[in-house]
Amino acid sequence: MALLHVRNLTARFSGLVALDEVSFELQAGAVCAVIGPNGAGKTTLFNVISGYVRPAAGQILLRGQDIAGATAHAIAMRGVRRTFQNGGLFPDLTVLENVLTGLHVETGGSLLDIILGRRRARAEEQAALRRARDLLRLMDMGQLAEARAGDLSGGQQRIVELIRTVASDPAVLLLDEPAVGLSPVARGQLLEIIRRLAGEKGVGILLIEHAVELVMAVADRILVMAAGANIAEGTPAEIRQDRAVLEAYLGHA
Amino acid sequence: MAPGARSSLWAWFCRGLILALLGLPLITNPYVQFVVNSMLIYTVATLGFNIVLGNLGQLAFANIAFFGIGAYASAILAQTFGVPWLFTVPLAAILGAAAGFLASAVALRGIRLYYLAIITLAFGEFMRWLYLHLPAVTGGTDGMPMPRETLFGLQLAQDDVKFYCFLVITIVLFKLTLNLMQSRVGRAIAAVRENEIVTASLGIPTARIIVLSFMWSGLLTGSAGAMFAQHTGHVFPEAFGMHQLIIGFAMVLVGGLGSIIGAALGAVTLTALPEYLRAFPGMEELFFGLTVVVVLLLLPGGLASLSPLFIERHHRPLE
Repeated sequence: MALLHVRNLTARFSGLVALDEVSFELQAGAVCAVIGPNGAGKTTLFNVISGYVRPAAGQILLRGQDIAGATAHAIAMRGVRRTFQNGGLFPDLTVLENVLTGLHVETGGSLLDIILGRRRARAEEQAALRRARDLLRLMDMGQLAEARAGDLSGGQQRIVELIRTVASDPAVLLLDEPAVGLSPVARGQLLEIIRRLAGEKGVGILLIEHAVELVMAVADRILVMAAGANIAEGTPAEIRQDRAVLEAYLGHA
Repeated sequence: MAPGARSSLWAWFCRGLILALLGLPLITNPYVQFVVNSMLIYTVATLGFNIVLGNLGQLAFANIAFFGIGAYASAILAQTFGVPWLFTVPLAAILGAAAGFLASAVALRGIRLYYLAIITLAFGEFMRWLYLHLPAVTGGTDGMPMPRETLFGLQLAQDDVKFYCFLVITIVLFKLTLNLMQSRVGRAIAAVRENEIVTASLGIPTARIIVLSFMWSGLLTGSAGAMFAQHTGHVFPEAFGMHQLIIGFAMVLVGGLGSIIGAALGAVTLTALPEYLRAFPGMEELFFGLTVVVVLLLLPGGLASLSPLFIERHHRPLE
């Protein structure tokens, strides 16, 4: 069974078809790049899968269970996590606090335990704090833990957002243009992170990306979208040869 | 300062402060004691107001309604039903939380910013209208007196007896609020303020966080209302109008939006200030307003930003 199986997913905005019967499968440990011209519906696809836009029709099967139409937080709780194109950090919180918000669901302790300051809640908080610090150290961001997130450079913010998003060990990761604003060195780091998440942790990754060399270097499969529909799907080698893709990008020959 | 050293310094500061407060009635005269009691009440009320305004970052002004509901609940329960005052406090807290639940329903319908502000202001004015127009329940314009009662054989009407009651209530509510705000829930509240859409993507149920914030805000401010009823010995509609609301708003801003310590600093400072301004009859309001403006110009983050000891997590001024 595929980790994520999207079937005939359709979304409309007041009559305008934004997603037109999109279907594809994502296996655990695979990286699937979603490419296509501006307005092709790539981010809409992410918004529907992550629960921000209700689909008009179709199914989103996560390990065989349909999650289409569930609320954003319910979908995130089930292990489908995403990043945002325009950066999704909380600028006025510290880097550490940002990462901790990514651990909210895993951090236990009932509301009553928290309010009464019971040991159980404090222990959970301490454990989350240790985990967040470890994650930051692992990514060489330990020294920035107490910095205000909004004061970081664009590239650093992308990395912190990625750390926050993977902190909860998601099953499916949706990355919306993660390489924007990254230096070549940081791009290399990002590539390494994506490979490791997929290869070692078995995360299924959907990746919207315009940088062709990044896509070719990391993607196992490529989903090509145009005008809301997926016009091609296959391995990078297959996509390079695909007639429909060439037409969508270059116009009719 | 290392976080560990800061937190232990903070713990000693708190112990010292509580110890000093316990001995306070020994050195105060009745007038000063009355003002100190006001400070405790406004600390709790401001703590509640600040959660919605500063931590959650919503422009909601329903807290004057919570304050009045708490005060009237306490007075009606004590006067009409003979409930001992101390027991009216948790009941006022529950009613305040229920009113907070109502107010949150408005925000959850996507009504925000100025629209939320105007609707919650109307809620406060509607409650004041109710106090005036339900004389059989609220005493109308004459208001509601608090019955005289004794607590462990002591006259509750005495300001030092009230002080110890208020002090215990304030410390308990302050500590519980600190627990809540320095947990994942407090972080989630701040996250909702920063970006609701992104917060949901982390699996955080944003609607529940908003409801909880309003309810805790109502619980605190409702409790403060019950203390206020005992403090003044008489509740009447004029005490819960726009004037009171603006003072509360100023206390939040002067203390520091989103800061728990700031709520106490703002409440204490702006309760003391009018007492000093009595030396300038006719000019009190002018100087009061001027002080607020000067503090905010010099310290946009409020008094809470003055000392490193007071820098707490989740305290960030709004832009």
